[in-house]
Amino acid sequence: MASLSPAFSRLSRRQRLALAWLVSLLLLAALAPWLPLPYPPGTPDLAHMAESPSGATRHWLGTDPQGRDVLSGLVFGARTALVLTLPAALLAALLGGLAGGAAGFWGNRLRCSFVGGLLAASALAGALGAPGAVVATGVGLAGALWAGARALRWPVALAVPLDSLVLAAATGLDTVPRLILVLALVARGGTSAVELGLVLGLTSWAGPARLVRARMLAVRTLPFVEAARASGLSPGRIWWHHALPHALRPLQAALPLSIAGLLALESTLSFLGVGLPPEVASWGQQLAAGRQAPQAWWAVAFPALMLTATILSLHFLAARPQPLSAKTGQ
Amino acid sequence: MGRLLLRHLGQTLLGTWLLASAVFLLSRAGSEQALLSPDLAAPSASVADMRAARAATRHRLGLDQPLFYIGRTATGGWQWRGRRNQYHHWLRALGRGSLGTSFRTGEPVTQRLARALAFTLPVTATAAVLVALAALTLAVWLAAAPRWQLPVRTALLALQSLPLFIIALALLLLLANPDVLDWFPADSVASTPDAAAAAAFSAASLRHLLPRLVLPVAALVLAALPELTVQLDAALAHELRQPYILTAKAKGLPALAVVRRHALRNALLPTLAQLAELLPAMVAGAVVVEVIFALPGMGCLLAEAAATRDYPVLVGGVLLVGLARLASLLLADLSYSWADPRIRWQA
Repeated sequence: MASLSPAFSRLSRRQRLALAWLVSLLLLAALAPWLPLPYPPGTPDLAHMAESPSGATRHWLGTDPQGRDVLSGLVFGARTALVLTLPAALLAALLGGLAGGAAGFWGNRLRCSFVGGLLAASALAGALGAPGAVVATGVGLAGALWAGARALRWPVALAVPLDSLVLAAATGLDTVPRLILVLALVARGGTSAVELGLVLGLTSWAGPARLVRARMLAVRTLPFVEAARASGLSPGRIWWHHALPHALRPLQAALPLSIAGLLALESTLSFLGVGLPPEVASWGQQLAAGRQAPQAWWAVAFPALMLTATILSLHFLAARPQPLSAKTGQ
Repeated sequence: MGRLLLRHLGQTLLGTWLLASAVFLLSRAGSEQALLSPDLAAPSASVADMRAARAATRHRLGLDQPLFYIGRTATGGWQWRGRRNQYHHWLRALGRGSLGTSFRTGEPVTQRLARALAFTLPVTATAAVLVALAALTLAVWLAAAPRWQLPVRTALLALQSLPLFIIALALLLLLANPDVLDWFPADSVASTPDAAAAAAFSAASLRHLLPRLVLPVAALVLAALPELTVQLDAALAHELRQPYILTAKAKGLPALAVVRRHALRNALLPTLAQLAELLPAMVAGAVVVEVIFALPGMGCLLAEAAATRDYPVLVGGVLLVGLARLASLLLADLSYSWADPRIRWQA
């Protein structure tokens, strides 16, 4: 905690407010099943449909046009949003960080042993159930190449254009807007939360990859990387232990933005009625239900407020913390 | 210039093809299960009838063929399936310009997409032009009016972080709601006697249509405006610190003329790359806006296809959006060479 306090004191007042909101949201989502909510989420209360907020019926924030309690919907919607977007954002950051970091470090000249590559490919083919003859041919070819290379003293290596591959994959992924791509991919019915999270994570790694790659291009020319190389460490070790921790720094600021983007995407999908099954509570789905009765403002206003406040807080948090010098004096 | 353009186009084409293929294969792999789900059967049908009906449906939709060139056999090995497979047929049909038939209505997909585009294209194009104009005006005005910079920038950032469907929903529920402000009609375009008449732009249908299009276009503009304006604003602020601006000011030019005649063209360059994002983003925005305002366009078609698992339409939509990206890349590269003489002279 001691190491956190200087970082905390550098936050502006707006950022502290945002942090407080997010932490309370986190607690709300984590403790949702044990909170003393008068009504369970998603269960219609047919005696009170589109009821305005009142204490008499114990619907503190009213009910939507289908008789579901708005308050418990909000609480469990926070749970859904958290469970879905946080792992998806982490997955995207992990994939993007590894891909972008490798692409930036090795560029287009990742030397990969041809023999090793062939062996790995044959092993993969064997694991996937390819016929034994194919695997044997691969292994035999690799052995022959290895023997030949030793006899001729000629290094058999292959330059993998890693940088071009990663950039091309990222550009390809960005060709179609994420909303349309995810819409097309999750259209098959009965998408579980895990599947949706996987799709979200796998389609949003391009941004983090670009960030980390750009940073890695700068990091790999720094003196300490050169020193590590001079001391004879293997490239893989330098990459993992020395360069990557520095290149991952931009992700710190990008993660809240990535979560905000995923939250917006998820609620848009739920609003359109695609993705999560309809019985799972989510803010987007609450908004879709509330839209059917324009006079019931509470069914739309509260989820919209929650969503807006959360996304704005994430954006505030991502903003660069003020440097100390700017605060103490001009 | 030419090589860069070719590279952009090649990458976009390749990306579109790969994404469409991925969507095609994944969706077909899922549609097998969708057809086999028991809820399709009528309660009175016998088991044999159901099986026959299912087999007939699969044959009609071409789903009884293997999916891809390679596939797994029942024993777990891999097998070469030859050219009689769904993916091969899809690719060949694509080469002939056909996208297959919609699972749901049986119409050719190209026909459905074309009808939806006839509605969406004017709307999104109007919104795109309005966004570009509004961003230009706003950024130029901001650069010359420093007092307004902080509030307007804060408002833009707040607007940027909101998802489009919140903006559209707020517009709909505040401005087209008899209980709040009844400025715009709230009934949908599709409630006109003939939806096809909406596409035929006669005077009467236009008079009916236009008030119903104000809010959707406004929502699209509001959602796309912040990104362009913030970018242009930052570029202008950077240019205004350059020495040539000092010279222009020293000549005694008024502030607005300095911005418009000297700084703007240089500041436009980095913003033009943003234009390539605009058109695909507009199509994605149309999905949300058309669902909220019940407009019979491209976005509504895609959302409906996703909800009803109409895969040929979805794959066609992905391809079409890729084409939109292609068009906007061309546009951005062309406008680059218009805005920067150095690029023109290189070619």
